[in-house]
Amino acid sequence: MGEIIRVGSMLMLVAAIAAVALGYVNSVTSPIIAEQKEQAKLDAMIDVAGSLASGELMFDSLSVPDLANPYAEVDETLAVVSVNDSAGVELGYLFVAYGKGYSSTVQTMIAVNTAGTLTGNTVLYQQETPGLGANVSNPARFLYQFDGLNASSLLLSKDGGDLDAITGSTITSRAVTNSVRNGLDALSAAGIIPVSGGAQ
Amino acid sequence: MSIAQDFSRGIMRENPVFKQALGMCPFLAVTTSVENALGMGAAATFVLVFSNFLVSLFRKVIPSKVRIPSYIVIIATFVTLVDLLMNAYLPALHSSLGIFIPLIVVNCIILGRAEGFANKNKVLPSIADGIGMGLGFTLAMVIMATFREILGNGSWLGFNLLGESYQNQPMLIAILAPGAFILMAFILGFFNIMEKRKRGGAR
Amino acid sequence: MINSMLMSVIIAAPDGGEPSFSIAKMMAIIVSAIFINNYVLSRFLGICPFLGVSKQLDSAVGMGAAVVFVMVLATLGSWLVYHHVLVPYGMEYLRTISFIIIIASLVQLVEMILQKFSPALYDALGIFLPLITTNCAILGVAVLNIDDKLSLGYSLVNSVAAGIGFTLALVLMAGLRERMETADVPEALRGLPLAFLIAGAMSIAFLGFAGLGG
Repeated sequence: MGEIIRVGSMLMLVAAIAAVALGYVNSVTSPIIAEQKEQAKLDAMIDVAGSLASGELMFDSLSVPDLANPYAEVDETLAVVSVNDSAGVELGYLFVAYGKGYSSTVQTMIAVNTAGTLTGNTVLYQQETPGLGANVSNPARFLYQFDGLNASSLLLSKDGGDLDAITGSTITSRAVTNSVRNGLDALSAAGIIPVSGGAQ
Repeated sequence: MSIAQDFSRGIMRENPVFKQALGMCPFLAVTTSVENALGMGAAATFVLVFSNFLVSLFRKVIPSKVRIPSYIVIIATFVTLVDLLMNAYLPALHSSLGIFIPLIVVNCIILGRAEGFANKNKVLPSIADGIGMGLGFTLAMVIMATFREILGNGSWLGFNLLGESYQNQPMLIAILAPGAFILMAFILGFFNIMEKRKRGGAR
Repeated sequence: MINSMLMSVIIAAPDGGEPSFSIAKMMAIIVSAIFINNYVLSRFLGICPFLGVSKQLDSAVGMGAAVVFVMVLATLGSWLVYHHVLVPYGMEYLRTISFIIIIASLVQLVEMILQKFSPALYDALGIFLPLITTNCAILGVAVLNIDDKLSLGYSLVNSVAAGIGFTLALVLMAGLRERMETADVPEALRGLPLAFLIAGAMSIAFLGFAGLGG
């Protein structure tokens, strides 16, 4: 019995030292991790918003009553940031689209002008298959096609539209395309941008 | 055995991947690019060196009945350390290695060296052994990733080698899951032939 | 097996929201874990036992059963500890260390209980249990359940399906390897290289399931 207590307390001691050491490291790294996530997001915002206008831009988070959340299925929410020039004139909006891809939820930051036309985008996060869906991060493979489109023309050619999916990665391409379109539809339903195309 | 031998053994003669077939899961999973291979190699080497160091340092204190759980706790601690540090300072690499960072805990190379070497040897040889085995693991992953990234993406460490036209129609299978298994079969087959030649030559 | 009280806990959403358990999502998880993202052939989890215990069909079935068993228990334990101990106290960084301790002690516990109460089952599964602690598919499924933000119900479904997927790959592999015993294989490829080639061929076949993802 004494043996078990001795051995058990030894193991407890090892675990306790480990927990304390990790607690310390965590207290050091967690603010860095949080700050660096913020910074990455801010960099992406500045980068994508640059497609709306050059020069000094101002960001303001937009609170919209009656904004539907098209991303509830993947446990995310639609948040809109308005982009203004230095005189305070509204140029367009930024939002992050979340789409369930092949093996991850692909997050794409989107810039749209006040007329509802897409001007810029960048993939913030994806864990898709290397060599296939992961190519979505390379703008020249897929997302270059988005610029200048509006919600009504965001459809893959396989779904009756004009966008060419990444070879072998229809699921990823469709996830991004549909998530962006759903985001735009939510914005126009809330009256932020005009309903696109007149087709609907 | 000298420290130099402890160090060099893991790199080629007893290479954990090619000669002992250990650590297969991360080896097959993260070798889609050379950058990932280097990142995983560095992370595993870090854990390996420090776990070998601590296990060796406390080898006379830890009761043998609970040594395996103690080793696992020690290894898990350093894995979490790497996880936190990588997330803070190398976020892009952290996100592309993903789940395979926490899974370093169950990498059989690390527990294998703790139980098979550090447990019975002094501190300095244990550290040398950890560095050697870690480098051997890294080297094996870089070799594999070189094949997979060049064939499957036309690039090496991100540099475009084979031009735009190849990158648009690469030999995709190499970078996908089946390519990992098939390339590994040929690499092991190559080592078998080399071994046979060596034995044949000695005769 | 699951009594009604436990069932109601399982169906409740993790953050106390409305109960959400759709058959469609459940089927999607099952098909994904067994075929599309098979833990062995596409995610590369559990390769060591996949290569080590796939020489004979009997032992492959035994190992598969033991993995499914431990996987479900490990998922239950790790999910509860993560969401009811680590998250409330802001100690998410202890995830890896606590999960591996849970798995190691579960394996030990299962071994002791089986030995005492069901010697027949212990004889069948016992020799595989010590190997399971270092089977990365177990820790992998526990971590992925958290990363994918699955509720407890879906996590359990996912772990059963992942275990079945593992067993399927293992049994297929064992069947193929038993047949290859008598084949005339080039000398350099005998043994492990051949096992990798077979795994590669199976992985190509499983790649064909990708279209099911819809």
